Amino acid sequence: MTLKIQIIIIVLAGLGILYIGNLVRVRRLELKYALIWFLVGVLVIIFAANKNWLQGLSNLLGIELPINMLFFVGFLFVLMIIFTQTIVISNLTRKSKRLTQEVAMLNKRIDDMIAAGTPDGAGSMLKEKAEEHETESVKNIEDDRKEA
Amino acid sequence: MSNKLVIIPAFNEAGCIVNTVNDIIENAPDFDYVIINDCSRDDTYKLCLENGFNVVSLPINSGIGAAVQTGYLYAKRYGYEYAIQVDGDGQHDAAFLGTMARYMEEHNTGMLIGSRYIEKQGFQSSGLRRFGIKYFTLLIKILTGKKITDPTSGMRMVGRDIIEYFAEEYPKDYPEPETAVTIVKRGWSVEEIPVVMKERQAGTSSISPKRSIYYMIKVSLACIIAAMSS
Repeated sequence: MTLKIQIIIIVLAGLGILYIGNLVRVRRLELKYALIWFLVGVLVIIFAANKNWLQGLSNLLGIELPINMLFFVGFLFVLMIIFTQTIVISNLTRKSKRLTQEVAMLNKRIDDMIAAGTPDGAGSMLKEKAEEHETESVKNIEDDRKEA
Repeated sequence: MSNKLVIIPAFNEAGCIVNTVNDIIENAPDFDYVIINDCSRDDTYKLCLENGFNVVSLPINSGIGAAVQTGYLYAKRYGYEYAIQVDGDGQHDAAFLGTMARYMEEHNTGMLIGSRYIEKQGFQSSGLRRFGIKYFTLLIKILTGKKITDPTSGMRMVGRDIIEYFAEEYPKDYPEPETAVTIVKRGWSVEEIPVVMKERQAGTSSISPKRSIYYMIKVSLACIIAAMSS
C-alpha cells in the first residue's frame, strides 16, 4: 500500500462518514441503522492508517494473503447486514399489514356511522351495531395498547 | 344481529361475488357476513356497494392471509361467537353453513372443517392436487397424530377463542394446513364433517402449477415450524 492510496482511502472513508452523518442530520436515515455504517468507515480508516495491522490480523487468523482475509471478513459482514435487513423487513411487513387492516376497519366504521345517520342509507344492516360498537371499540383499542 | 359471521375474502371476484353473497343471504339466513375486499382491481368493490353488501375494503392489497385475518379481527371486535371462512369464488355451498354451526354448538368444537373427502361427493379437485392434499393429511398426522382428511379445505368454522387467536396470529398466505397444525397443537379440538363443494364459478386458483412447488415446500415448512413452536 503506497502512501498515496492510503490517503485516498482515508479521505473517501471520511467523506462517506460525513455523508452518512448528514443523512442522519436531515432525518433521511435512522441513527440506529447508521451506526453500523459509521463503524465500517472508522474501521476502514484505522486499517488504512496502520498498514501492518491488516497483515497482523491475517497472520492471527492463519490466512496467508491479507486481501483474502478482507474478502472473507467483508463477505461475512455483508451477509450479516442483509440478514438483519430481512428481519427488519419481516417486522415492517407485519406492522404495515396490521395498519392496513386497522385503516380498513376504521373506514368501515365511518361508512356505517354515516349510513346510520342517514335514514334508509346504504349498509343499514349495521345501523345498531355501529352505535353499539362505538364504546366497545374504544375499550378494545385501549386493551390492545396495554398488550403492546 | 346474529352471533355467527361468514368471512368472504374477495380479490378480483367480480364474476361471482354477487352470487356468492346472495347464496349466503338466502341459504344461511341466521348468519351475518362480511366481505373483505383485498383491494381488487376489478369491479368487486363497486358491485358490493351497489348491492348494499357489508364490505370491509383493505386500502392496500395485502394477500389472502391478511384479508381473512381482517375478517377475524372484525369478528373479534363485533363480538361474534362463531366465524366461518367461505371463498369468494362460489366453490362453497352456503347450505352447509347451518349444518356446521349446529354441529359446533352441539359438540363445542374449536375448529370444524368442511371436508370433501369423507363422503367423497361433489367436486373432488384434480388428480395431482388430490395427491398434494393426501400428502398434507399424512404430514399433519405425523406432526400432530390427528387425521384431517381435507387439510386444504377453505371451509372452516371456528369458535370465539380461535377467533381471538386468529385476529392476532394468522399466516400470510396458504394458511389452511398450517393453522390446522397450530390449532391442534394449542390444544383446541379440530373436527371434520362432510360437505360437497362445487367447481369454481369464475376466477383462477391461487395455486398455479408453477407455484405448486413453492406451495408444497412453504406449507410443509410452515406445518413443521407450527408443530414445534406451540
